[in-house]
Amino acid sequence: MSALLGAVHIAIALTMPVLLVGIVNRTKARSAGRKGPGLAQLAWDLRRLLMKAPVYSTTSSPLFAAGAWVVLAASLLAALVAPILGDSAPLRFDYDFILFAYALGLARLFLMLSAMDVGSAFEGMGAAREGLFTVAIEPALFFLIGAATLATGQASFAGLLGQWHHATSFPWLAVPAVAVLFALLQAEAARLPVDDPQTHLELTMVHEVMLLDHSGPGLAAMQYAAALKMTIYAGLIASLVNPFDLRGNPAPAVLFALVTMVGVGVAVGCVESLIARMRLRAVPGYLVLASLTAAACLGVAGWLSRMP
Amino acid sequence: MGALIAAVVVLLLGAAACLLPVANRVRVACGLVSQTLATALVLTAVVPVLLGGVPVAGELPWAYPMGTMRVRLDALGAFFLVWSMPLTLLGSIYAVGYFRAYFDSPRHLGWHFALFNLTSLSFVLVYPGDHALLFLLGWETAAIAAWLLVIWDYTNQKVRFAGFNYLVSTHLGLIFIVAAFMVLYAHTLSWDLLSFGDWLRSHPGAERNLVFLLLVTSFALKSAFFPFHSWLPRAHAAAPAHVSALMSGVIHKAGLYALVRVLLLIGTPDAWMGWFLVGFSVLSAVIGALYTVGQRDLKRLLGYSSTENVGIAGIGFGVGCLGLAWHSAPLVALGFAGGLLHVLNHAFFKCQLFYAAGAVYRAVHTVDVERLGGLLRLMPWTALSFLLGGVAISGLPPLNGFTSEFVIYSGLFSGEPIGVWARVALAVGAAALAFVGAVSAFSITRAFGVVFLGRARDPSVPVGHEMNGWMLVPMAVHGVAVVLLGVMPFLGFALVREATSLALTTLPGAGTGVLPRLEAALTRVGLMSGALVLAVAALVWFFRRASSRPAAASATWGCGYDAPTARMQYTGSSFSADLQSRVGGVVLTMRRLKAPTGYFPVDSYLLTACVDAVERRLFAVIANGDASANELSGALREDDPRIAFAAALIAVVIMAGLVVPVGGALQ
Repeated sequence: MSALLGAVHIAIALTMPVLLVGIVNRTKARSAGRKGPGLAQLAWDLRRLLMKAPVYSTTSSPLFAAGAWVVLAASLLAALVAPILGDSAPLRFDYDFILFAYALGLARLFLMLSAMDVGSAFEGMGAAREGLFTVAIEPALFFLIGAATLATGQASFAGLLGQWHHATSFPWLAVPAVAVLFALLQAEAARLPVDDPQTHLELTMVHEVMLLDHSGPGLAAMQYAAALKMTIYAGLIASLVNPFDLRGNPAPAVLFALVTMVGVGVAVGCVESLIARMRLRAVPGYLVLASLTAAACLGVAGWLSRMP
Repeated sequence: MGALIAAVVVLLLGAAACLLPVANRVRVACGLVSQTLATALVLTAVVPVLLGGVPVAGELPWAYPMGTMRVRLDALGAFFLVWSMPLTLLGSIYAVGYFRAYFDSPRHLGWHFALFNLTSLSFVLVYPGDHALLFLLGWETAAIAAWLLVIWDYTNQKVRFAGFNYLVSTHLGLIFIVAAFMVLYAHTLSWDLLSFGDWLRSHPGAERNLVFLLLVTSFALKSAFFPFHSWLPRAHAAAPAHVSALMSGVIHKAGLYALVRVLLLIGTPDAWMGWFLVGFSVLSAVIGALYTVGQRDLKRLLGYSSTENVGIAGIGFGVGCLGLAWHSAPLVALGFAGGLLHVLNHAFFKCQLFYAAGAVYRAVHTVDVERLGGLLRLMPWTALSFLLGGVAISGLPPLNGFTSEFVIYSGLFSGEPIGVWARVALAVGAAALAFVGAVSAFSITRAFGVVFLGRARDPSVPVGHEMNGWMLVPMAVHGVAVVLLGVMPFLGFALVREATSLALTTLPGAGTGVLPRLEAALTRVGLMSGALVLAVAALVWFFRRASSRPAAASATWGCGYDAPTARMQYTGSSFSADLQSRVGGVVLTMRRLKAPTGYFPVDSYLLTACVDAVERRLFAVIANGDASANELSGALREDDPRIAFAAALIAVVIMAGLVVPVGGALQ
């Protein structure tokens, strides 16, 4: 049973990134009155990139070529730890959320380093912004996990998110927790209002500017990893709000998770259609606000679990 | 016991041989041989203790006032000795390469290597010592030796200043420790640490709290916790690289050893002590990390990251202390094992980073990040070494920094029944630790990215070249250790296991079963890290094989402009400017600006420097002390009746305050 669930998890984690990017783009196109690209457009793009030979900058070192694969491998490891279906994950052990956060941290470090490696001012700027945003948002996940620990008494990531809905604090904290995870998604997967994936001005890019000199299979790995990160955070939201017990009724739980992830994709698309990106100087404030919201969740969770 | 005494004798004889009037090569050889021999001797005594054997104990009769000197090498001391001695030896080997240019000069190299012997000697005195005066002797030997090692380049006034700054700070710490020992001696009439422990265990209350605070202040000065760190960035920037490495990674760990020793002596500390340690350490970690962000001097940056990392280890010890107070075996095990593992890991990756920085200094004669760039192509092994150390110090998998931070996080999220608000507070500590990790990754990206990646920024800096084997071998050993301890964390755990169970023995149930669970968890973490390494290797290998066409080369994308100069690269200052401006209240940035004026400006400049807020405040008080007192007295008018009234009131209150406790309440 758990092997089957693990296989389902892996299958969803591997295919959903393509679909989710398609859904976001389709939503944006529809709201702009266009038809938009097909849902699997990213897959075709990746296939095209994989068949190309890479072009490396004359300034770059071997670290640049390896960077993309470190990013991909670390993001895949994080996807195996992250619960996206509910109370289950292929790699599940006590305090696995630390591995999750730090594997993504390793991916980010190599993303930033390979940006610095080509000696471009634009890419250095993007790396500095990425680092700054991470500093602002990194505590948020741990505040949320602290709140979930108080509510559930679990120690694994899957247990924390998958069983939170049983706790008395859940009705109070579900909305702010989802909001914090949504802000984390925007920051980690480089979506509006934190970063605009479709901007064409190097001075204002964050994630895309770091990919400027990547090409061929390396660029494919980087793009897939970014989509994977969006999938992971959409999955975390899905498993937080999933009311079904994955072991009791697996089918409705998996279905609910899929629908929620698609819903998160539509929500991301709607947000991107409705608002413009923030001024870059305001973004850290937005992310700190998300961290403070998460801290407030921790405080409220403590206050609620104080009462029997 | 015999091995330890033999090691002391060998080290002293070796130090003496270093000073003989022979060629520098012979002196250095004497130093290295005696250190190797002493290290081997100490290891023969230490390894059985670490494997669970009985502590090495012995007595040496000595004259008044020392009295009988008791030596008792238990698992805690053994843990610190087992890596301190070999790492000091590696540092001495590195020093051979670092000082190669001086071998045929008239400069006396023997002193420097004799001081390494004395440093090792101080470990043999401090870690197994069960006698307060013996402990102080070792403590002081390490301080003096480190000071003399720092001022190697003594003709430079800045280096002398940094040395004296360190000497004053370390002796301020000595005053606190002596005060604490005087209080303890007054009560026990003994210099034995064990009898100190008996008294501390049986007399909770104000005096024990005072002793605890005195000792923690002293140890914090030794290990450079915030706000007692102001000597550290100067000393690390001024000293030769291997001395900075040994001070930061090895010598000043004695402060943390002493902290753990005192906690174990107290046995059941009060909970406030644990909270105090956790809060103090979180503050240290956060502020140390923020200070690494804007530093231009690579070694100064690494110095601040020591403040950060002792903070991280201190969080672990604080959690362990809370566990001792609340009799919670998982908290004790996770806290102490995590803290000790972090001490071990930090020794490996911090020395490695300093060695790499020293190699950069030797190659290009500067460690100012703004003037460097593109060193990876010229010094690939040094760059790899710095990268490994950097990933490890950011606490990222698959290297060793991750394993110890994993254990410390587990302690913070332990889920033990310790009360809701305690769990909330520890979760806040975990979030702070996550913040520290992000900041540390930021500044390591900046340091590595600016110094080793891109292209050389300043044509006036010499072209870099790879170092000689004497310097590369210690870096390689550290690199291998950082990887091995990351993917096989049970190796590190084997060293801390007995020391942790020493802490567990003070609990009623002795916490059986906690350690095997922890070991299993660490093994799993190592497996994950190993899988990550293999996955990266497989992906790189596969796509290199699969690509049929060779990679093409082209200029970096510059918005269509393809003749950029190296000066157009992003600088370290620009990288950190935004973050620095947002934490300007904590991290001071000095700006000196002469704005350009007129149509053809000639001399305009902007200088920025990240200065230490604590040090500036300290010097401001010293410099303006008289002035501020004068201002105060100028503001008070003598003939103001309110002053006379207030003075009389204060006098009455003080007199009443003296009378009431002595004579009881007034009738």
